[in-house]
Amino acid sequence: MTKWDKCLIVFTLIASLMGLYYVKVYVSESSSKYISIQVDGDEYKKISFGTNMEGKTIDINTEFGYNKLEIGKDRVRIIEADCPDKLDVKQGWIYNPGEIIVCLPNRLIIEIKSDEKTDDDVDYISY
Amino acid sequence: MERLRKLVFLSLLVSLGLALSIIESMIPLPFAMPGMKLGLANMVCLITLVIFGPKEAFVVAILRSLTFALATGSISGLFYSLTGAVLSTIIMSLVYVYFSNYFSLIGVSIFGAIFHNIGQISAASIIMENVKIFSYLPVMTLVSLFTGYFVGLGSILTTKNLRENMSRIAG
Repeated sequence: MTKWDKCLIVFTLIASLMGLYYVKVYVSESSSKYISIQVDGDEYKKISFGTNMEGKTIDINTEFGYNKLEIGKDRVRIIEADCPDKLDVKQGWIYNPGEIIVCLPNRLIIEIKSDEKTDDDVDYISY
Repeated sequence: MERLRKLVFLSLLVSLGLALSIIESMIPLPFAMPGMKLGLANMVCLITLVIFGPKEAFVVAILRSLTFALATGSISGLFYSLTGAVLSTIIMSLVYVYFSNYFSLIGVSIFGAIFHNIGQISAASIIMENVKIFSYLPVMTLVSLFTGYFVGLGSILTTKNLRENMSRIAG
């Protein structure tokens, strides 16, 4: 074990720890989730999650009714609606791709979608 | 006679590497990462490099990968292990031949382990057409520090004894 060996070990340790940190930051920033708002079957608006969107509210005024959306950190909910039963408000936050909030009287669907094809992910890789 | 002795010894080293590969695939690891292994077979490669030289180490590395694929039947894994083995042998030879004044076998072995991972991950990202696999690399290099250290330590002890015994047999 020479001096250079120790240098190599320390250098690799630092490099891989920095790599780990970089990967963590990079992965958390590049989440491919987005909110898709559909009214009467057509896409009304697409909103991507981001730090600048946290806490923002979006009004959806259409011929079918009025809803108000609140965007949180990687999640979304409806906080106001003019529909009679308010089921969409009671449902609360949705987080994962594929989850939806539906407001039938207003013909509104809020869906979290993902760019990645989550269905054909590789289950296991054998070397 | 000298050629024959070399041939026999290299064949023995290949089969030793094959046996080590098969045994290490049976050892359970504390955390399951795809492609993570101890790299015991790298020890054989390192010993060949020290006793015979880079060319022979290269032959042993490739033959070991091929025979391991034949023994386990995982032909899909052949591409990964072959690229990893070739890259790590090239780097280990370079480091051993040109920088052996600076690095002991432990350093050479760590270099080999790191570049084995780089080769393997590159092959995986080419096959799966996904660059995100490289996010495994920091974890793998961290692990290869430990495995590389102990493989290098083992190689130092083995080559020390092997050199003495080899000279006794040859002499």
